[in-house]
Parts: sequence; C-alpha cells; structure tokens
Amino acid sequence: MGNVKERTAPLEGIRIIDLSMGWAGPLTTRHMADMGADVIKVESCERFDWWRSWEATPEWIENDGAEKSVAFNTVNRNKRDITLDLEHPEGRQILLQLVGSANAVVENFSGGVLPKLNLGYEVFREVKNDIILLSMPAFGSTGPWKNFRAYGSTVEQASGLPHLNGEAADPPTMHHVAYGDANGGLNGAAALLVALRHQKRTGEGQLVDISQVESMFPLAAHGILEFAATGEAPARRGNASQTMAPHGTYPCEGDDAWIVIQVMNEDQWVSLQQLVGNSLEPFGALADRIENRDQLDQLISDWTRNQEPQQLMFLLQKNGIPAAATHTSASLLADVHLKSRGYWQWLDRAVVGKQPNPSLAYRQGTEPFVITSPAPTLGQHNEEVLADIIGMDEADLVRLRSIGIIGNRPRMRSV
Amino acid sequence: MSIALQGLRVIDISGTIATSYCAKLWADYGAEVINLEPAEGFQTRILPPFILGTDEADKSAMHAYLSTNKLSLNKQALGQESLASLLKSADLVLDDNTDAELASLCPNVRASISWYGNTGEYSNFIGSDAQCFALNGMLRGIGHVEGPPLIPTGYQAQIVGGLTSFIGSMVHVLAGELGNRHDRVEIDTSIFEACLCFTDVGAVSSYNTNIQVPRLGINRFPPTYPLGVFPCRDGWIGVTVLTPSQWQTFCQLLDIVEYADVELFQTAIGRLQSIDILEPVIRKKLLEHSAEELFYRAQENAVPLARVPTMEELFGIDQFLQRHAFAPAILPGDIPLLVPTVPFRLYRTPPSFAGPVASVGEHTESFQHG
Repeated sequence: MGNVKERTAPLEGIRIIDLSMGWAGPLTTRHMADMGADVIKVESCERFDWWRSWEATPEWIENDGAEKSVAFNTVNRNKRDITLDLEHPEGRQILLQLVGSANAVVENFSGGVLPKLNLGYEVFREVKNDIILLSMPAFGSTGPWKNFRAYGSTVEQASGLPHLNGEAADPPTMHHVAYGDANGGLNGAAALLVALRHQKRTGEGQLVDISQVESMFPLAAHGILEFAATGEAPARRGNASQTMAPHGTYPCEGDDAWIVIQVMNEDQWVSLQQLVGNSLEPFGALADRIENRDQLDQLISDWTRNQEPQQLMFLLQKNGIPAAATHTSASLLADVHLKSRGYWQWLDRAVVGKQPNPSLAYRQGTEPFVITSPAPTLGQHNEEVLADIIGMDEADLVRLRSIGIIGNRPRMRSV
Repeated sequence: MSIALQGLRVIDISGTIATSYCAKLWADYGAEVINLEPAEGFQTRILPPFILGTDEADKSAMHAYLSTNKLSLNKQALGQESLASLLKSADLVLDDNTDAELASLCPNVRASISWYGNTGEYSNFIGSDAQCFALNGMLRGIGHVEGPPLIPTGYQAQIVGGLTSFIGSMVHVLAGELGNRHDRVEIDTSIFEACLCFTDVGAVSSYNTNIQVPRLGINRFPPTYPLGVFPCRDGWIGVTVLTPSQWQTFCQLLDIVEYADVELFQTAIGRLQSIDILEPVIRKKLLEHSAEELFYRAQENAVPLARVPTMEELFGIDQFLQRHAFAPAILPGDIPLLVPTVPFRLYRTPPSFAGPVASVGEHTESFQHG
C-alpha cells in the first residue's frame, strides 16, 4: 500500500479551535490534526501552553526555551498556532470569530477559567449554533469536585488504580509520572469524534465532557469488577500471578536490564524446560509451580542473568514462550520492530532541528500516516490564520502586535 | 432522543478484550453492535474476575462489563449465506487478524487489532499486556531501585488498544459520512504502539538530552517531587506539587513554612535533589492529617492533591455517584453487576449507562427470522 499522504485526509474540512494545554487536551487534538482536521492552537504570549514550561524565567525566554520543550513539540505537530490575549476584549472577540468558523472547541482548563473570561458553551453557541465544546476537567464538569485540579499523576491517584499495583508491603503503587494525561487525551479524541458524527448527521452541536479520572476506570476495571463481583478487593501481589508460573521480570546481562517471561500454558512450560535444562525438571504442573514460585523464579533468574535481553526475547518467542525485553526511554528509539515499521518519523523543527515523532498507533495498510508538519512555534500562524479566516490586513496585524494581543515571543506574566 | 451513533452496525468477529472494548464504546453511544460468537462463546466469557453465585456460562464480570447493550449471534448457527449477508451489511467489522477472510467481507471499514501490528519484527510474537509495558519503557520505571520492575496488573494495554482502535475506526466511518472516503478501508491497530502514547515523550526527551532516567523507587518519578502516594492518619493521599506557588501552599498546609521560600525548593528538580531532607519531614507531617481533610484543604487552595480510594471506597464517592460513573450491567437471569460507565458524556446525546448482557447466541433466532 502506498503512502497515505496522497489520499484525501479523513477529517478534511473539520476545523477545531484548541484552547487546551499540557498533555491530555493537545493529544486529543493531535489525533484530529493527524487525520487532517485544521487544528488552530490558541495560546497567548503571557499565558502560553504550560507544557512549554511551568517555571518560566527571563533567561528561559531569552534562550528560546519556549521552543525547546520536547513535551510540547511531541504533542502539537500538524497544528497551526496563534497567540491571542483573551483577557483583552479584542482578543476575546477574535477568538469568537474563529469559533464561528469551526466545528469544535477543545479546552482543559480548571473549572473557573473560561467563566472568568466570559467564555463557555453558551457564549460559543451564540456565535455558532452547532458548535461542539469538549471540556476535559479532571473530575468532569458536573458534581461537587467539578472545579478540582489535577495533573496526570493526580488523575491516576484519584482513580484508585495504584491499589491494584505493586507489592503488598509497599504503598499503593503508581505506574507513571502522568498516566492519566495520555489516557485522557485518547478518551477526548474518542468523545470528540462521536460528537462530530452527530453534528454531521443532525446539524446539532453540544457540550461534551470527559472526566479524566473516570477515564482511568477501564484500566482499573479488573479490580473494580473483582470488588463488584465478589465483595473482596484484589490483593497486591507484585509480579506473582494466580494463573501463571513462571511469571515475572527477570534480570539479564547489562545495567538494569530485564526480561518479562510469562508461561501461560503447559506447552509453553515444556518449551521453557527444554531451553533452560535440568534445573527445572523437579517442577510439575501449574499448582506445583505456583506453590514453589520463589524457588522457580530464582532458577529462571540464574538462567537469564547472563543473557542479552533482546536475543533472549527472540529465542523465547521463537520457541513459543511469551517474553519481552524491557526498554528504556533511550532504547525505544532503536527498537528493531518500530524501525522496521517506520514508526519514528523524523522532521526538522525550528530551533531544535531534526526530531523523532511517533506515528499514530493505527495505520492503513503497511505504512504509517505521514506527519506533515512539526509542532508550530509560538504564534507561528498569526498572520496566516487572522488574514485567511478573519480577513485582517497588515495594518490590523501591526496594531494587534503593538498592543500585545498577538506576538511571537513569550512574556513573563504581568500579575 | 437521537443517539450519536444510531444507524451504524458494528460486528465483532473476534471477541478479544481489545475488540470488545472498542465495540463497547460504539454500543454505549447507540450503534447496533453484534458479537458474532462461536458456539462456546467469546474468550472474554471465561476471563476473571468471576461473579459469585452465577451460572458457569455467565460468570465473567469482565465479559459483562465489555458486553452491555450488544447482541449475540451464534456464528455456527448461521448459514454461509446469512453470514456473508450479515458481514456485507456492516459499517465496521472488528477482528484480531485471525479470520481475515471473514473480516474482508465488510464493504466499508475493517479494523483489526493485534498485539504488534501485522508487519514488523515482532508481528508473530505471542503478545501480552505485560510485554507492551516492558517494550514501551514504562515497566522499567516501576518498583524498587534494586528491582525487579513491577508488571502493571489487569488488561490495561488491551483496553488502551481498544480505545485507540475506536478512534481509528470512528475517524474512517466518519470520513465516509463527510465524503472524504469513497472506498473500503482496512485499519490495523497495534496494541504495543497504542501504549507508546505514555512513553513517547520520554523517548524523544532521551534523544535530546542523552539522559537515561534510572528507576528511583516506588512512587518516585522524575522530574517532580513531591509526587506519589503517601500514608495519612486514616488512608492514602496522592500528592503532586509542581509549581513554586503550589510548593509554598503545600508547605503552609503541612505547617512546614520554613521550607516554603527556600530558593532551591522552588523548582521540581531542586526538590528532587533535596529528597533526603524533604522526604522525612513530609512523611511525618502527612501522618498527622486525615487524607480527606487534607484533600479538600489542598484543592480549596489550588494544590492538586487527591484521595487514593480503595476499590470499595470508589463506589461510595459522591462525585462518582452523581455522575453515574458506575451502573448495573444486567446479566441473564436479571442479575445486576455494577460496572464503570463510559467516561465521556455527550449531553445532547447521552450514552447508555450499562444495560443488558446477552447470553451466547441469544439473538440468533430473532435475527434469522428477520
């Protein structure tokens, strides 16, 4: 199958005004942009996306820090970027004009921010009757906690998921520094697409809200359902499984190198015995292996300890045994499978140069969808967007720049 | 009231967790979803956890959660002609690449979901949730410094794969309605690559900095401190303190104001470097407080702390009750089971909050009679 770039983009003709910041909201809109929607990201010179930095200093501004954030650059490709001071009446008015040309607005501010700007679903609806507003507050936009704040870490914590992970002797154990963010972003994309389908079919817009905390419940479903089904909360068992043995993470040759091995049935166990050799002979069926898990894990570790993890993974998989080496962040870029699938797409980006960009996890045929442009710089598309969509001329733009409503450089906050 | 995905027919021919979760989202928003099951039922029907006191055939709580508001047809009971006709009527067919011939009968969108995608070095690997987290780099960061890294429990990778496939398949169904797609398409989702959304930023960061972040221990993730799950007097509190103002307010909440204005502690990195000084103080102070009281006081002051509820506590939290975050799946025999509802809300076209779960082939006869 050929390069996907030549086809009509699936979401061509859809325009989204993106007020979101951080990880979750921008990931939602990145999915839309990757599929051909015109995503216009709106920041301001003082209130720029906090994923550029939450600790901005004059030195950071001077050194182009705003354009060097890997986090920002990774989730904002394929979008256009403008700056607008939404606290200025004229900036707010321009935003509303843009909304008038759009299918949807996406925001993930904490509860009180949009009302303070005299913005919100009803205001957007006045300028575009069929507009969709996707709000992505941590706990949802209704209920007693609707204005409560959270980061991706808070979202994981509040979902109860840490109670299902880790060793019994340890505290409830988190998975990630910001597990809730990317997951919230995926749910946001799903929600927005459903609303766009309804808009297309009926001409009706609507308010859409996702609770990022509730978005974690499907990931915790095994624990939630165990309590619902039995009245008992599942115990934290570390790497021990009630249905598999061996099951765990075993040391390999190298610095902090590990391999996951999971024996799911008796055929796999026989294959593993043949590979490991005599030391596993004393162990019998699953019940015996579970009962003697510690001893078994020790013998597996003795066998894996001096083996190179990637080679061992291929050896085990070749023999029908589920296994995977653990990657580091750095080794992920060199993963042979991802390389063979063209997963990392390299694009030149202003200020930072050539950068790897992750492809979408779904593809049509064998090639990934092509990423057409890297993340925009701050206000990169001010002129293009305001001229093309609002019809502004050069004199308008000069005036807006002179009073600070638009711009291309971050400023320290005046308050 | 109109339902957002009304008028669309989705057929799941594989019944994995990933295809089932993807199909569930279609069903929650009103599409007609058909589980085309073998006579013995989909593999999800034998997955734990199990419901106490139910018939063997309906014992899987996981299947119940994944299967509300879907129809079930017995594939073997349908003749070849009916089967082909059914597939040809679908807007979307979901599969796991094990029956491509059947899936290819759908004239619109075919969405396959596999562990590693249908090309590449790992495409023939036997996959698992744990493998996806090993290979995406996440597992390496979980656990004690000395190891072993800890495997996330449950079916998390497959749920993320199913959600990602929903996005990919929804985009292409919508593209047809927008006039941007005129031909049949096949979309393949890799569960492993879906899970890279959690770690791709870290990988690009490593490329730019050459810094490989080591595993720092339970609930300790750079570049932020304090961040984690800490014991309080009566439960667990989730702490994330990022900005200088959040740090200053956090110090006031814990009555450790002497640390509030220290220059080194104004940055996340500075606090992480000072963990030996800060950790004992913070732990001691948190133990003096109730998790509930601290949570509300922090949120009132714009610091994003969270209670870390147990599975039992989740079902009693007002916020979740008011939003119908859990609702009963109704199993055969009218047995209710509380399950999570869809996490996004369209207010004009609300979703189904749980609903009935079909037994294997329950709708075969009515389908055969038109």
